[in-house]
Amino acid sequence: MRDFLLIFRVRVRMFLASIRSLSGIRAASFVFVICCFILGAYYIFIRVFGYLMSVEVIGPGLLDRLIEMALFVFLIMLLFSNVITSFSTFYHSREIDFLFSLPVPPTSIYLAKLVENCLYASWATLTIALPLVIAYGVKTGAPALFYPLSITGIIVYMVIPAAIASALIAVILRIFPKLGPREVIIISLALILGLTYLYIKINNPGLLKIFETENEKTLLIFASQLTTVGGVYVPSTWLSNILKGFNDGASGIAFNFLLLLFVTVSSVLISFMIARACYVRSWLSTGEHASKRRIRKSLLFHPPRRAVRTVLYKDLLTFVREPTQWVQLSVFLILLAVYILSLRRTPIYFAFPLWRTIVAFANFAYISFVLATLGVRFIFPTMSLERAGIWFIGSSPMSFRKILLTKYFFNLITAVVIIEALLLTANLFIKIDTGLHLLMPVFGLFVAASLVSINLGLGSRFLHFHEDNPSRIAAGSGGIITALISIAYVGIAIAILATPAYNYLSHTFMRMPVNYLLVYSGFVLFILFNAFTIVIPLRIGIRSLERRDY
Amino acid sequence: MPRLVIKDLKKKFNNTWALAGLNLQLNKGEIFVLLGPNGAGKTTTLKLIAGLLRPTEGEIIVEGINLSRDPIRAKSFLGYVPDEPFIYNKLTGREFINFVAGIYKVGRKEYEARLATLMETFDIGPWIDELSESYSHGMKQRVIMCQLLLHDPDLVLIDEPLVGLDPKTSKTVRELFIRLKEDGKTLFISTHTLSFAREIATKIGIISRGQLKFIGDIGELSRISGKKDIEDIYLKLSEDDAAAGVDPLLSSPSEQ
Repeated sequence: MRDFLLIFRVRVRMFLASIRSLSGIRAASFVFVICCFILGAYYIFIRVFGYLMSVEVIGPGLLDRLIEMALFVFLIMLLFSNVITSFSTFYHSREIDFLFSLPVPPTSIYLAKLVENCLYASWATLTIALPLVIAYGVKTGAPALFYPLSITGIIVYMVIPAAIASALIAVILRIFPKLGPREVIIISLALILGLTYLYIKINNPGLLKIFETENEKTLLIFASQLTTVGGVYVPSTWLSNILKGFNDGASGIAFNFLLLLFVTVSSVLISFMIARACYVRSWLSTGEHASKRRIRKSLLFHPPRRAVRTVLYKDLLTFVREPTQWVQLSVFLILLAVYILSLRRTPIYFAFPLWRTIVAFANFAYISFVLATLGVRFIFPTMSLERAGIWFIGSSPMSFRKILLTKYFFNLITAVVIIEALLLTANLFIKIDTGLHLLMPVFGLFVAASLVSINLGLGSRFLHFHEDNPSRIAAGSGGIITALISIAYVGIAIAILATPAYNYLSHTFMRMPVNYLLVYSGFVLFILFNAFTIVIPLRIGIRSLERRDY
Repeated sequence: MPRLVIKDLKKKFNNTWALAGLNLQLNKGEIFVLLGPNGAGKTTTLKLIAGLLRPTEGEIIVEGINLSRDPIRAKSFLGYVPDEPFIYNKLTGREFINFVAGIYKVGRKEYEARLATLMETFDIGPWIDELSESYSHGMKQRVIMCQLLLHDPDLVLIDEPLVGLDPKTSKTVRELFIRLKEDGKTLFISTHTLSFAREIATKIGIISRGQLKFIGDIGELSRISGKKDIEDIYLKLSEDDAAAGVDPLLSSPSEQ
């Protein structure tokens, strides 16, 4: 225990030192941005919950289902993020090699890393979960005790996926010592997905059925009558029972809280025992087997003729060989595909063309938001990942401007393919009219160009050379600031498009005259705004790279 | 035309002068070895010439080209090897070398001829197609040496070239540096290995607290310090410097 505390204290000191090293302005802007995010999320939850509470008969029930569903989704997301960060935290960090050379019990190293991994993988979810729970308490008029108990419950809840993920990876590596990180992460994620599907299928098959009706009210009644989202055996149900308990008259709060606490402590103890049996061996096996394979054929097996192509090939190879990168991208894309396919049902729910058009705009905003998230996770860390070769790039006759622009166009092509595929497929399913069908991909092009510029430019401004893991680079202070700027960009871009969209809707569905001045000025403003958000972040990035000491 | 000219070069980190006015000139076919205790400013000097740090004051001119004004053209004459041999973990040694060849636009014929020779010289063939995440420090250092020589730079900057190398490769490196000098290349090397400096240097510089305390050949160094062995000379100069806290008996930084 003493060793664990010592290792953990060193980590805390390093974290505090990194905060102290931030300039006053940067620290203040970081705190400001986080506060804005939490307050913004709180405001949105308050509005949504307020609306649901006002819906007679079914509103409160739907709100409870929404909370249950959110907590269940958090659990799955936390399992995913813990699996993805576990491999680098427990097995592939320079610090681990050093710690294993010390006369410290491996279980102490494991515990310190478990806490570190849990914090890294969970804090982003916490920034969403906290305003969600507080807004729920406020809207349901919960007593004062609700807040400390529910916040403690959420924190305790986040430990369970961390313990499960680390134990799962240790066991897989112990059984299959020759597996590399890519295979281990894929097997873990497949196991989690498969078991979740099986559990829902056995416990709550209604959740997987698609309900077909043209009657909105029937749909809502169906949704409110769904049984518990995850069933009685999952922690999300216990946590939601704690939250709902205050609303229902405090029934079962103590039982559910103690159950949650008991399972959390048990999961940590079980993972601790697994670590005692497996951790050292599985760590040794990663060093022995992971990286001895020979690569006889690749994009860089011969030197490319053009410098730009060389940078592209290098980026592609390092991306596809880093499991934390492409596994997460695949998960994102699969979830997006599921979302888009679910839109096939939209005409069944919303037969009236006005609703379809509104859904199409909402979908455009949502896809832009998703692209902003993808940008922060995959584009923002790009320049920081050059850490290993920055000594070469900085001393080579290739300018940072050229390197950044190469990366910009490469990422832009990828982003355009993703956003256009999503928009075109979604609009096809929603069945919007031809004019919008042609116009939305053009807006999508601007959104992609701006978001790539914001993420790449600010990623070059907030370089993070001390970290190898792209997820962690994106989760740093620079990543958070960039995420919020990206979200603000999407909000402003949508707000600018709202005026021409409103004119279009009123003209098409209410036969109102078109105000062409407003429509055209909206489009011009959109183009000017995007010109600004494309050029300025790239300029900031290039200037920052050129003026920096390496 | 001198290959490298450094004029009043200064570098300040926060409130500390890491380099406090360096003047130096190197010609073709010279091996300049920079000696000095830890934190004296050796790596800072090399990084400034490589374009990895921005000078606070002063000028660096490579082949008549000012590094600040036309960095891309100036850097095309340079080859740099850092003290810590980082390579992209997810590339093989061959892919990293090819990445360098692509950036420097090395021609197909030169590439094939040079790579074959370098692979044999540094004996990297058995593991060049494995991912570099499995390499030891010395293996990475050998790959980095190969990439350096593949694009055939006129001015070679090397920080601690022998760290992590086995005796056989160290000997190869020594011989190679001498051959490069004979081919008219200029080498600027920072090291703690005094015997290495004695063996290959045509000119030696001793730096302390960001100032070049001495510059000249071994003979001049022995005459000034009154010692014959380079280890004794280095220790004498360091002690004098530490005791005085200011410039010792040595000559002030001079432009050669």
